[in-house]
Amino acid sequence: MNSASQMLDALRPFLVYFALVIAIVVAMLALSWLLGQRQSRPAKDYPYESGIVSVGSAHFRISVHFYITAILFIIFDLEVVFLFAWAVAVRENGWAGFIEISIFIGILTVALLYLWRIGALDWRTQTQRRQLHSLQGPGGVTNIAPETGGRS
Amino acid sequence: MAVAEDTTELDPSLANLVEELSLRFEQEIVAVQGYRDGIPVLWVTATGLKTLMHYLRSSASIRFQMLFDLSAIDERARVHREGQPASDFTVCYHLMSFTHPCDIRLKLALSVSALSAPTVTDVWPNANWYERECWDMFGIVFEGHPNLSRIMLPPTWEGHPLRKEHPARATEMEPYSLSQERQQHEQEALRFNPEQWGMTRESKNSEFMFLNLGPNHPSVHGVFRIALQLDGEILVDAVPDIGYHHRGAEKMGERQSWHTYIPYTDRIDYLGGVMNNLPYVMAVEKMAGIEVPERVKVIRVMLCEMFRIASHLLFYGTFAQDVGQLSPVFYMFVDRERVFNIIESICGARMHPGWFRIGGVAQDLPVGWDKAIREWLDFMPARLRDYDTMVMNNGILKRRTQGVGAYSTKDALDWGITGAGLRATGLEYDYRKARPYSGYENFDFEVPVAANGDCYDRCAIRVEEIRQSLRIIRQCVDNMPQGPYKSAHPATTPPLKEKTRLDIETLINHFLSVSWGPVVPPQEVTTIIEATKGLNSYYLVSDGGTGSYRTRIRTPSFAHLQMIPEISRGFMVPDLIAIIASIDFVMADVDR
Amino acid sequence: MKFEVGSALSIAAILFTVIVVAAMLIWVERRLLGLWQERLGPNRVGPFGLLQVVADMIKIFTKEDWVPPFADRFSFLLAPPIIMVVILLSFSVIPFAPGVGVIDSDIGVLFVLAMASLGAYSVMLGGLSSNNKYALLGSLRAAAQMVSYEVFMGISLLGVVALAGTFNLREIVLSQADGWYILPQCVGFLIFVIAGVAESHRLPFDIPEAEQEIVAGYHTEYSGMKFGMFFVGEYLGVVLVSSLIVVLFFGGWLGPAFLPPIVWFVLKASVFVAFFVLLRAAIPRPRYDQLMNYGWLFLLPLSLLNLLLTGAFVLWQEGM
Repeated sequence: MNSASQMLDALRPFLVYFALVIAIVVAMLALSWLLGQRQSRPAKDYPYESGIVSVGSAHFRISVHFYITAILFIIFDLEVVFLFAWAVAVRENGWAGFIEISIFIGILTVALLYLWRIGALDWRTQTQRRQLHSLQGPGGVTNIAPETGGRS
Repeated sequence: MAVAEDTTELDPSLANLVEELSLRFEQEIVAVQGYRDGIPVLWVTATGLKTLMHYLRSSASIRFQMLFDLSAIDERARVHREGQPASDFTVCYHLMSFTHPCDIRLKLALSVSALSAPTVTDVWPNANWYERECWDMFGIVFEGHPNLSRIMLPPTWEGHPLRKEHPARATEMEPYSLSQERQQHEQEALRFNPEQWGMTRESKNSEFMFLNLGPNHPSVHGVFRIALQLDGEILVDAVPDIGYHHRGAEKMGERQSWHTYIPYTDRIDYLGGVMNNLPYVMAVEKMAGIEVPERVKVIRVMLCEMFRIASHLLFYGTFAQDVGQLSPVFYMFVDRERVFNIIESICGARMHPGWFRIGGVAQDLPVGWDKAIREWLDFMPARLRDYDTMVMNNGILKRRTQGVGAYSTKDALDWGITGAGLRATGLEYDYRKARPYSGYENFDFEVPVAANGDCYDRCAIRVEEIRQSLRIIRQCVDNMPQGPYKSAHPATTPPLKEKTRLDIETLINHFLSVSWGPVVPPQEVTTIIEATKGLNSYYLVSDGGTGSYRTRIRTPSFAHLQMIPEISRGFMVPDLIAIIASIDFVMADVDR
Repeated sequence: MKFEVGSALSIAAILFTVIVVAAMLIWVERRLLGLWQERLGPNRVGPFGLLQVVADMIKIFTKEDWVPPFADRFSFLLAPPIIMVVILLSFSVIPFAPGVGVIDSDIGVLFVLAMASLGAYSVMLGGLSSNNKYALLGSLRAAAQMVSYEVFMGISLLGVVALAGTFNLREIVLSQADGWYILPQCVGFLIFVIAGVAESHRLPFDIPEAEQEIVAGYHTEYSGMKFGMFFVGEYLGVVLVSSLIVVLFFGGWLGPAFLPPIVWFVLKASVFVAFFVLLRAAIPRPRYDQLMNYGWLFLLPLSLLNLLLTGAFVLWQEGM
């Protein structure tokens, strides 16, 4: 009970700060709501799509491609949590802890390598890859040497 | 078979070809007609059109690789058609050769009761938009066209504006008003309909998103719309939609006198300034038989190259900006201001001086004109080197633009791509070198060429062209000939002022040519120039009056935009933006 | 009751200062960009255009506070305050100078990272609730970018944590009395700067709101103060990342005694704020896949390596 109230005491500046932040944000929104003009025009009922009435809504099934990133994030971010715990206590854990975490990071790296090999980390489209492969030379003007071309 | 009287000297190999064709295709060719521009005109039958085109494209002694232009003429009000087959509407196909300095024009006569022609989209892929434009403007139906719909005018439009009976000015029509219902109706008409373009709404794995990019979008350079079919961010297909900038420049050409139309041309490629005047005044001069003095040619070249630099600088800046680099565009605008200051000191206006005249230029160069130019010529190379470091050598920019939106020389010719977009594919073709006009043969400059034909190369070509233009301008400044700034020819408009003070005949001539403008003998003339964005041409038909009977403006940007879907499929939205940026178009140049 | 009105006032002062600084940063950025781009920037309202911010505030407060009828009203309203709140809350653990700061938290680093993660919600909610296709694309991009760069951001800080042996930001500053962590942690610093730009999605990492591509991305449909919150949120983010860089790598308020500590802090932070503006002026925007590739295949292994080497270094120094 005592420790809880101590913690509350320590947190009090934060709570005050939090309250102030909320107050400011609410005040900003309220003020703009009060001061803002209000107009109603038919064009306002359309979502902005470069000035043309849109086809279909913006809510639809998107390709699975987009969820891969989210899954990667979840996997890696969870693993990073262990790294946090180790980093703050490097000295306490000593070399034994270091070896353990090296193994851990090693496994992580192998997983990353695997992901790279199966192409999960390549977000390019087929066309982008193909066109980049068919490049001839460094690009740019080929028939005029840069130092002579510039002379006028 | 009738051969028109005024056939001028043709290039010998071209004359041979015409000879060969008229023997070989006796059935298909109705008449041969020739004009002062050295482009033979073959009147063909509807059935023989495609046979002849295939032959000209792949088997003839001179091969024509590009359908340069496709347009039509409403002939019903034309008086002087000596030696031409009867026709109410004539479809004109302008074919261009890149191996020989030759053009050829095929004409197809149509009667108003059966206004239909076979489509040539299967011979020339770029005929697609041109045929749509013809249908839109004249109501000519192209049998077998994949999607013959309006292109310049809104889908709700009634009538075909380039027909002679269509009113040309607002005062000839009912006052325009836009009611709430009408607005709603127009808005609905613009809504994209995927099925019209043969698109499905979903694939096996996901639904497609149809997104309107433009007309009101930060990076479409004006009012250009592309409807995108997207799978996530990946472009499945795209449909460009143009016409939002259409102002009827061709129709206005029929209403203005030869002289008063000059300022309208400035606004076609509005970054090109007097560069737009050049093909127009050259065409009129050719028809009227005016030979301009040397000084005029050099002044014209000098100003054109200045505008080329101004236009390329704007391209360069916006290109960098569209791939997310914020600053270069500001530096380049400052440089552009420097060019405009010089142009203003010579022409009195900055972006649209309208300064070229039939038979000359508006005024002589001001006293001490070369000082500012020399300073600027010394100043620019260091700036360009800075930009190379900042933009062209930037790793992120390279990664964003290399290997993006590439096409081959063959694709480029198929789609009517000219200018830097063509040279980026490795074809060394610059009209100033290939068929010099206005004295370009006297200048020493290189034609930059690249290999990959991707966005990066298109930009690199233009950067090098800025340097070459600086070289040309330096030569102009060093070797400016003395002499009159206008031709002494009677059709020069306005005529030299000095003569008007001497006798009444020249005063009357001056009065008439200022009030009516010159009378140009019946002719058909095409002039082509290497404009800022590619090949720009004016096809003028004179019916012996003080104004044009038909003004056809072939602009490079129109063809370039048509190719966008071809080169952007399979890429992502950011690549599309880079592709659009690398094309260098202005909508006024597309829609006219 | 230990808590006094005085400390409440100092907390309020910190909050006020942070917001004012972020608002002024809009002016600073526009002037600096002007300087670097051969132009002037705002110079009409007040001396040197200083009152431009006030003029903008008046304008933005009197703009229509509009919720689109086609949007999901609740999340649409919720999104902008989230970004403001989480970034402002992150400032609570920043030690500006001895005795200046809201709270000395033992989990300061973790708290900042947690708040940064919450920031992603704002962008995603804003984009998804708008029911606009550009906004949707923006929020998809934002989601991918922010979650990826969060991973590297966290790991890049761990080197500092290992050296200091604490998550407490004030203690991290104090432990730099013998030498700033920029020297042993230069790699961590670089990764953190890159991740920091990506987290505050400013150019060159402004992929979620890339103007040339998707108009305004997730805040396409926002107007008035709700848009203003996203806007100010970005500048708050810049101030926050600059402050964090100073605290973690450049010894916080530490500096020769001829200037007060808070001045040192402000000076150092200003350098990084200017750096972020310069970054915006100089570099083009990579493509989404390039950004992701760069992060996962380069920054992630590099930050892991950095962490391991730092750990070994710490242990070796301890003589264990």
